[in-house]
Amino acid sequence: MMIEQAPALIVVISLMSAVATPLVGWLKKDLCYPWVILALLGSTLCSVLVLNTVMQEGVIHYHMGSWLPPWGIEYVIDHLNAMMLVLITGTSLLVAVYSRRSLEAELSDRTIYFYTLFLLQVTGFVGIVITGDVFNLYVFLEIASLAGYALIATGEEGAPFAAFRYLILGTVGACFYLLGVGYLYMVTGSLNMADLAELLPSLYGSKVVLVAFAFFMVGIALKMALFPLHMWLPDAYTRAPSAASALIAPLMTKVAVYIMLRVMFTLFRPYFSIELLPVAKIMLYAGIIAIFVGAVMALAQKNFKRMLCYIVIAEVGYMVGGVGVANAVAIRGAILHVMNDVVMTLGLFAVAGILAYKMKNSEISAFDNIFKKMPFTMAAFLVVALSVIGVPPTCGFFSKWYLIQGAVMAGNWTFVAALLFSSLVNVVLFFRIIETGYYDFGVGGSGHEHAHEKGTAVSEAPLSMLIPTVVVAAAIILIGLYNHSILINVIDFAVPKL
Amino acid sequence: MDFIIAKYNYWIYIILMMIGFYAMIAKNNLIKKIIGMNIFQTAIILFFVSIAYKKGGATLPILTHADAHGEHAIQVAQYLNPLPHVLMLTAIVVSIATLGVALAIAIMMYRKYHTLEEDEILKAIK
Amino acid sequence: MKTLGLIVSIIAGAFLIYGTIDMPSWGDPNSPASIHVSPRYITKTEVETATPNIVTSVLADYRGYDTLGETTVIFTAGMACILLLRRRDGAKKTRR
Repeated sequence: MMIEQAPALIVVISLMSAVATPLVGWLKKDLCYPWVILALLGSTLCSVLVLNTVMQEGVIHYHMGSWLPPWGIEYVIDHLNAMMLVLITGTSLLVAVYSRRSLEAELSDRTIYFYTLFLLQVTGFVGIVITGDVFNLYVFLEIASLAGYALIATGEEGAPFAAFRYLILGTVGACFYLLGVGYLYMVTGSLNMADLAELLPSLYGSKVVLVAFAFFMVGIALKMALFPLHMWLPDAYTRAPSAASALIAPLMTKVAVYIMLRVMFTLFRPYFSIELLPVAKIMLYAGIIAIFVGAVMALAQKNFKRMLCYIVIAEVGYMVGGVGVANAVAIRGAILHVMNDVVMTLGLFAVAGILAYKMKNSEISAFDNIFKKMPFTMAAFLVVALSVIGVPPTCGFFSKWYLIQGAVMAGNWTFVAALLFSSLVNVVLFFRIIETGYYDFGVGGSGHEHAHEKGTAVSEAPLSMLIPTVVVAAAIILIGLYNHSILINVIDFAVPKL
Repeated sequence: MDFIIAKYNYWIYIILMMIGFYAMIAKNNLIKKIIGMNIFQTAIILFFVSIAYKKGGATLPILTHADAHGEHAIQVAQYLNPLPHVLMLTAIVVSIATLGVALAIAIMMYRKYHTLEEDEILKAIK
Repeated sequence: MKTLGLIVSIIAGAFLIYGTIDMPSWGDPNSPASIHVSPRYITKTEVETATPNIVTSVLADYRGYDTLGETTVIFTAGMACILLLRRRDGAKKTRR
């Protein structure tokens, strides 16, 4: 019985525990942290159960309130959804474990409300990913966005302004999405994704459907930080508190990429965006420009977290460009890259948070000797950096490989050039950090034993922050080693038939 | 010409939306941006609600006494379409919530910088 | 910035108006929106939900999950306001 209700339980557990968190916190403030971890553990277990069920039995349809669609709301969980659910709940569980020390340092008097909004944002993301109804997606998109704006605004100097700008641009994006829903409703009368997918093909010549699709894409591009609509991202993620940016950065843009995949491949048939309209070409060029801009701007940054933000912008370019290449291999690479990017961005921002907590400074020039002071953290950082560059056997190599293979098969040499250029730039970026970190390399010998000498004490990050980082690094290697079975069992079902 | 007369309501709402959109992105004062956001969202709400109208004497979507007791079959064309109204009740609530969070952030900034102009705040941050 | 904003608004508005060309006319009782999903709400609301107010029955029964989302949005906004606007106790005392 539990397994049948598992799809609803994922959302219900995070929602109800979010509502109960203030009560728990007013009872005893220190209870919030274990409560949040317990709740997210429950959600993660349910999403793993759901993934298991989907892999064995196929697509799950869960009708809310037992009303049949299109008159009621339903959950539709196929392989793409189930993978995203596990990623979202797993990431939020790791960030929740990670967050305690950095929250005590940055926001000690308001942790109760921070954790409430944390759980609400996870509820929003899970609700977006799991639903099969376009208006329901808008409601949960707004839950996730509002929680995100508030979490970002509690940061350091300049955070409220960054959050305000993000609020304005994010609301424009959500309202464009709502306009698209309205235009589609006007000509079909339905709000259910499967129903719309049946009703729309006869209307593809209609101008209303064209305008609706365009507004969907622009609204989602605003949420996804696709160049040139990326202006909100660097400030917002740099100034946010470490725990907030570790939660929002891996997830928000990838959930927006998921919405784009749903609109392009489930709501509208693939041939609509590839053959009827030149949307795939536009996405390809937008992706290429985003990769170049992200790489070049990242080179110019002196602040570590800001550099990571531009890497995120470039990664979004990979995914959008991969979908724009529009053959099965490249889309496979793009979906695999969604999974990889969640894990890689989580690793990068987790390391950034640890460095901000220990060194109280985010400038790259202040990172002297960190490889000796924090060997485990920096080892994890090396693994993540190798994955961003694209070195086997880390997972980043495999998704880049499929993207390049797909681009070569389609003859898009500019995209291949952009991917290789971005890898080279990443080598330069991370080499700078490694060079600064090894600066005082020491009086001969390899660092490890000498680190215990009096000169440079090992002052490693606290365990609650270190363990999630190491888990993420291990996950990167594991996903890389098992990528073939992940592709066959999960992702290949999510690639549409072109 | 006929198509303008048949759909002039949509044109009016689109113009209202664009006034709000322009205010959101181009104005300098934070409160003016927030008001623009409210105008934009209200125009979208009006746009949706106007989809629900049915000419020919349709009335509000509340069943009359006769229809509620099953005395004769319910004529669908007699009642307005209820679904856009429902969606817009939710959208109104979402717009109020966004307004609340935006104003809270504006208050935070006012407490710190004592101004509500965007360019002055940018200078103060740098 | 202002001219860029003006140009973007005009382009967006023109594109939206271009989309109204193929729309069903205002108030058409045979438009797709009035024929497809909503007739069942109107005809069956008394039978299935015993509520003569059709908007209430859709909001609370057929699409009740959206209403749950809406209340969550209000709760999120409330928590956000507490998180952002709460003053430290020290500041409160010095202001009096």
